[in-house]
Parts: sequence; C-alpha cells; structure tokens
Amino acid sequence: MKMTPAVVLSGSVIIFAAVLFVAVVLPWTTISEEPSDIYRPRTPSEEMGRKIYIQNGCGYCHTQFIRTIDWGLGAERIARSGDYVKEQPHLLGTERTGPDLSQEGGEHPDDWHLAHFTNPRYVRPESVMPNWAFLGEEKIRALIAYKQSLGYTMADGRVARQKYWKEKAVAAYEAGPDRNVEWLHATIPEGWRNVPNPYPTTEASVARGHRIYQGFCIGCHGPIGDGMGPAQPYLYPPPLNFTILKGRGISGGILYYQIMNGITGTAMPYFKRELESEKIWDVGNYVAVYFIGQTDADQEPKGIDAAYEPVEGK
Amino acid sequence: MSRWRFLKSELHGTVKAFFLTSAIWFVVGTSIGFIDATHLVAPELLADISWLVFGRTRPMHTNIVIFGFVGAGLLGAAHYIIPSLVRHPLYSERLGKLSLWFFNLSIIAGTVTLGLGFTQGREYAEWIWPVDVGILLSLVVIFVNLAFTVRRRQEPTLYVSVWYLLGAMIFTFFIYAFGNAVWNPASGAIHGMPDAILAWFYGHGIVGLFLTPLAVGAAYYIIPIVVRSPLYSHTLSLVGFWTLLMIYTHIGTHHLLQTPAPTWLKVLAITGSIGMLVPVLTVLVNLWLTMRGRLGYLHSDMGGKFVFAGLVWYVLVCLQGPFHSLPVVQRVTHLNNWVIAHAHMGVLGFSGTIALGCIYFILPRVTGKPLYNRRLADLQYWLVLFGMSGFFIVLTAAGLIQGNSWLNGEVVYRVLPEIHLYMAWRAAIGLLLWGGALIGLYNISRSMYSLPAKGEEP
Repeated sequence: MKMTPAVVLSGSVIIFAAVLFVAVVLPWTTISEEPSDIYRPRTPSEEMGRKIYIQNGCGYCHTQFIRTIDWGLGAERIARSGDYVKEQPHLLGTERTGPDLSQEGGEHPDDWHLAHFTNPRYVRPESVMPNWAFLGEEKIRALIAYKQSLGYTMADGRVARQKYWKEKAVAAYEAGPDRNVEWLHATIPEGWRNVPNPYPTTEASVARGHRIYQGFCIGCHGPIGDGMGPAQPYLYPPPLNFTILKGRGISGGILYYQIMNGITGTAMPYFKRELESEKIWDVGNYVAVYFIGQTDADQEPKGIDAAYEPVEGK
Repeated sequence: MSRWRFLKSELHGTVKAFFLTSAIWFVVGTSIGFIDATHLVAPELLADISWLVFGRTRPMHTNIVIFGFVGAGLLGAAHYIIPSLVRHPLYSERLGKLSLWFFNLSIIAGTVTLGLGFTQGREYAEWIWPVDVGILLSLVVIFVNLAFTVRRRQEPTLYVSVWYLLGAMIFTFFIYAFGNAVWNPASGAIHGMPDAILAWFYGHGIVGLFLTPLAVGAAYYIIPIVVRSPLYSHTLSLVGFWTLLMIYTHIGTHHLLQTPAPTWLKVLAITGSIGMLVPVLTVLVNLWLTMRGRLGYLHSDMGGKFVFAGLVWYVLVCLQGPFHSLPVVQRVTHLNNWVIAHAHMGVLGFSGTIALGCIYFILPRVTGKPLYNRRLADLQYWLVLFGMSGFFIVLTAAGLIQGNSWLNGEVVYRVLPEIHLYMAWRAAIGLLLWGGALIGLYNISRSMYSLPAKGEEP
C-alpha cells in the first residue's frame, strides 16, 4: 500500500465518519428520550445549584449513578437511562472519593448540609471534601436545593419526611430536656427500648467505641459529649447533650436503635450502612460510660453469653 | 519587523518554542498536580481559596499535562520530524509560531477560566467554547503547515512517522470539535446518556488519537536512528496505523460499562478494547524487532533512553487497558484510584516520557550544540521513572483497597482512612516528578540559551 498525504487524509476522514456514526450518532438517535418514572423538572434554585456543582468540579469526586453492585448511599435504585434525559452536560462522574449522589435528596435535612458545606469535617470528621464557605450563603443554599432534588420525586418524598419529623423534633426540643428525652425515647419501637446492651464493658470495647466516636460522632456531639461539636451552631434542633440522658430511662437498646436508624428530621443520620453491629454496640456503650455516666451493659436480660465474652474470674 | 518578534522566522524556531513551552507546562502541570494531591491528604491546607479548590485545580492539571506538557512536546517533535523525513524545511516558521501562540494562549486562557469557575464540566473537555476554538484554530494551522511541508517534499516515500503525525492532527481536530460539541457554545454538551457517550468518545479519543499517534510516530522516527537499524517491517506499520484509527476511536464507552448505556455499545467497546491489542502489539513488535540486540545504543542516547522507557510504559498501559475493560474486572477497578494509576501511566509514563525523549533527542540537533547537562537529564530520567513507578504502585494499591472494600459493602467514607496513607505517599512521590519537571525546565532552557556546561562533549 502506497501511503500518500491524500490516502492518509481521506482514509482518516472516512474512518472517523464511520466510527462517529456507529459509536456516537447511532446511540444518540436511538436512545429513548422518555423520562423515567421518577423524573421531574428542577426549580430555578435547584438549577442554579447544579451550575455551582459543575463550576466547582463536584463531579470529580461524586458519581451520579448507582450500579447493581453498589451498597451505601442511594443503593435503593439502580440508575436508568431515563433518569438522565434532561441532563446537559451529563454528571455521571468517574470517581468516588466521596459517595454517589444520585439519590442524595432527603438523606439529610438542610441544616446538616449547611454545616457540611461550611466545613465537611464539622459533621464528617474523616472527610477530605473541601470547605465551601468561600461560596457564600446564597450559593450554598442553591447547592443544598440542588442536592435535595437529587433523586427527583423519590427525593421529594424523603425531603417531605425530613420536614415532617423536623417539626416534631423542634417542638420536643423547645419543650425542654424532660419532654425532649421523653419524645426521643417514645419514637423507639417498644421492643428496643427495654433491651440493655448485651455485651460487657471492657477496656477494649470502650477503646473501639472511642475510635468510632471520633470518626463519626465528634463533629456534632463534641469531644465531651455535650452536643457542642463544631457543627452545633449550624444545627437546629442542636445535637443532643448526652449528659441530660442520665436518669431519664436511657437504655443500650435505645442508643443502638438511634445510631442504627438515625433520627430523621434532625441532623442525626442513620449509621446502619456504615457501621456493623459490634461497632454500634461499642460506640453506644462508650457514650453511656463516658458521657451519660451510666451503662446497662452486660445486665440481664441478656440470654446466653457470646462465645468471645470474658468469663468472670478467668 | 521588530513589532512581530513573537512571530520571528528562524530555522527550527517553532520546534524550540514548543519544547520550551512543554518544559514550562510540565512544571506548572505538576505543581498543580501536587496541590491536588495535598487536597486528598490535608483538605484544609489550602482551604477557602476558590481558585485552588480541588474541583477546579483537577481539570487545570489534566488539561495542562495533556495539551501543555505532553501535547506541546510532541507537537514540537512533529515540526522537526516531518521536515526531516520529507527533506524539506518546515513550510512556514511564522505559521508555526502562530500555531504555538494560539495553542499556548488557549491553554493559559483555559487554565485561568477554570480557576474562575468557567467550565463545561465534562472530563478533559472542560475548557469553555472560546478556548476550544483557539485550540481548534491552532490544530488547523499546524495541520496546514505540516501538510504543506509534506506537499513540497523531496522524498517521494512517506515514512510511517509522517502518517501518524498527520493522522493525529486530522483525528484530533475532529474528535476535539465533536467531543466538545462546539455547535453548542453555551454548554459544550448534548443531552442525557448520549452526552456521556459523546464525552467518553472524546475523553478516550483525546489520549488515543492525539497523544498516542504523536508519541508512536516519534518513536518510529527516533528508535531506528538511535539503534542504527532500519525499521523491521513496513507491513506491520501499516497494520498498526490503520487499526489504531479504526479501533481506538470507538471504545470510549468502556468508561460507561456500569451506567445505563446501551448494551450493544458496551459490547462494541469491550470487544474493541481487547482488539486494541492489535495496533499496540504490531507497533511494539515492529519496534522491538528493530531494536533487538541493540539496546546498548538506545541507552547511550539520552533521547533514546527516554523513548525506550516510554515504550515500556506503553506495553504496560496497553495490556492493562484491555484487561480492565472487562466488566468482571471493573467491578473492582472502576471509580477508584486504580484508574488514576492507569491514566498517569498513559499520559506521563508512555506519551509524556516519549515527549521528553523527543526533546532530548531533537534539541541538540536543532541547536547545533550538545545538551547543557547530560547528568541533569539523566537525573530527570530517574526521577520520572521512579515517580511514575511509585504512582503506579501506590495508586493501584489504593484503588484495589477501595474497590474491594466497596464490593464488600463498606461505604466510601469508611474507606477514606484506609487510603489516607497511600494518598500521602502519592503526594510525596509527586514531589519527585515536580523536581524532575523543574530540572527539565532548567536543563532545556539552558540548552537553548547558553553553552553546554563544563565537561560536556561538544
């Protein structure tokens, strides 16, 4: 084959045109433009938030599609092509330095986001996300609006649930510590309330709990558990001061359930996706021992001891 | 004419100017890369500086190294290789300088606008429309200049490097124009999943059809000269050239295997990715059979040594590529630092190292005097080699930790502390590359503007 400039040029153009047709034009014209069942248009402030998301390259650390193999945030809905029909540009992303955000809407209330955008470590101590305080309040509000829209109508449902429970949580908080603790405990299913922490308090278990507390709780509840962590000024109702729980009917089961399930409406997220059972019991007991000052660990009724538990006197 | 000094016509002026800008962009690109790396270790080190926030510096870094460092280095080489192969001086040094200015002003404008928050938000296609137009203009001017040089050739046979270098310009122009959706100036994008497909048609193609053919074309030129042996096979080079164009172009969707892209397109992308072994291996076998038994020559030549290292990275990156295009592998490797290791291997290890090789091979030939300091070039060689190897090890390890933890049900936040140490190593290793870039800039500019250091052979 004799290679001349004309051959290189025409060959290149022909190949490029053929590939462009197959690999771009064909999918472009054949992918359905029908929005999926959860789609809804975005409001102007959500749209502004999306622009800020793009301007600041949020998509380099956050994806917006859930795969069949995913766990964690958003893993309740596998991405569908119809979720993206109006997206321009697409924001699927290629890196997960942070979590996937395709179903982020309604995962947290707005005040949690405000603290998180101001300084992510206020609420997530081990995060490596940048501070966004420099954007100013208006842009952060728009970003929050955008995030609360992620997941479309599924997000709307969750946001409405956050608002519903926020009202109750604020009312309880404003009614004073007694009423607040009473309300908090009343939201726990009956069976859980009466369960003591079934595992013994040991030096090792408290050390494990301490580690978890520092990685997950300290930003809001603070290093001494008084609810005065760096996120506190942003949150309402404010983070719980654990010391008020003493003598108010707290139990290992209540702590476990609240850590596992969160308290929707407040900034307290659920941790069931992040922490396994042992970690939840241990951090709950750490809080009980160090901050509440009373623990029901290793009390009856606790059934047969787990095999690893130390045997008394041995 | 003094008013037009920046378009001054001098023999090989374009080559030298592209090389110098490549060396400068290498320093700038690695500096910003280092800032990126610190963000992932100590996020509040540079907190609350809008234009230094990770999401803005990351695209500055990627675009600067792709276009500024590697792109400019290889384009400089093209302006030397083509005239030399067709035995006719560059058609116009003035056009060459013009394209250089378009190119560099576009990169500067792109970097500044990204810092200010102007972006089209698609990976590697972030630069806004005016910058895209500047890049496209420079590509057109470069192509015209090189094509006119070829038209006036004294040598009837076109050597394989010429096809690659011309082909690269043609393909880059089209991929850049379509990939950036230049007909949509406001967004630079189309809608929905087709936009993702178009963006990865671009994102993959800009490496595969801009950097790869330029680097391969340069290697085809430099290796036979350095090892003093003719190219092993014309047929293999034909196969490699045409299959590269045919296969590399349509596999971008392997970046989207886990998204709701059409299944037929994923199948096409995966088969094509495996098929990439054809163009890659034909080139490598061809070059290997040319240099076999003559590696001593290669390693006694500063440029040859860099080019050889680049080709070794080419082997590795192109074996890894088809491997992790497989869905079963991507279950672990997608969305984490494994891919970052791969990207560095392609742009820095393969094409970047070859770009440096081109500079060190060609520079003495255009200045008419030896390099300012061979030992510094050698030091840079080892810094780049160690830096790249370190990146590969650390980032791949971090990626495997991330991928396997996620697959096992651990959430992203839980895995962050697990990779923290690796991110610290990555920043430290980045300093090796940054040092290499600084040494390179010093050596390259001294080679151009002053006499060789004492003790250098004339």
